[in-house]
Amino acid sequence: MAAAGEERQMLAQRLKAAVHYTVGCLCEEVAEDKDVQFSKQSIAAISDITFRQCEIFAKDLEMFARHAKRTTVTTEDVKLLARRSNSLLKYITQKSEELASSNMEQKEKKKKKSSTAKGERTPGEQEAAVTENEDSNMA
Amino acid sequence: MEERGGRAGGFRKDTVDRLLRLHFRDGKTRVNADAQLLMAELLKVFVREAAARAARQAQAEDLEKVDTEQLEKVLPQLLLDF
Repeated sequence: MAAAGEERQMLAQRLKAAVHYTVGCLCEEVAEDKDVQFSKQSIAAISDITFRQCEIFAKDLEMFARHAKRTTVTTEDVKLLARRSNSLLKYITQKSEELASSNMEQKEKKKKKSSTAKGERTPGEQEAAVTENEDSNMA
Repeated sequence: MEERGGRAGGFRKDTVDRLLRLHFRDGKTRVNADAQLLMAELLKVFVREAAARAARQAQAEDLEKVDTEQLEKVLPQLLLDF
């Protein structure tokens, strides 16, 4: 048990380092956009906040999936996570539709010319279709 | 989205998956590929939002450098929005 706990700690440290690195890159972009500088401490603080926020995100996502009687977290759960801010929800929904439609394109490429009519669906319909597929995979 | 599998706007898909699974209570819980990419996007928005709001706070205070003090001021509202 002690070994497992230690391993988990080491993984957490590595993940914290990965988050810190990415946060550093993203802050650099913001710094250029807004023409300000970020102190090292402020970048470390944003990393720490992000890492802690992941715990809340993860537990919520797991609950949302379980509420829908699934063990796999889907894009629907992520959309629920973004419900508090309207503009955030709009952005995340749009990204989710982009993902769904690029999935459709890939599937269509595999099928080749077998179904050209399907390409003319609206994004909303495409998304619904993909979600259905995902659900049936899980059963 | 062009960066499938690899980097999805900052956070790697694999990093996101491990971050989430670190905190799941049930070991059977999984995250599908699209949800991983969407979470990477959400985390990117979270970080950029934190940085942008702190930067705006610093500019309102006529500072050139953002420090933890500015971050502390914008943190409560940030956490309410996510």
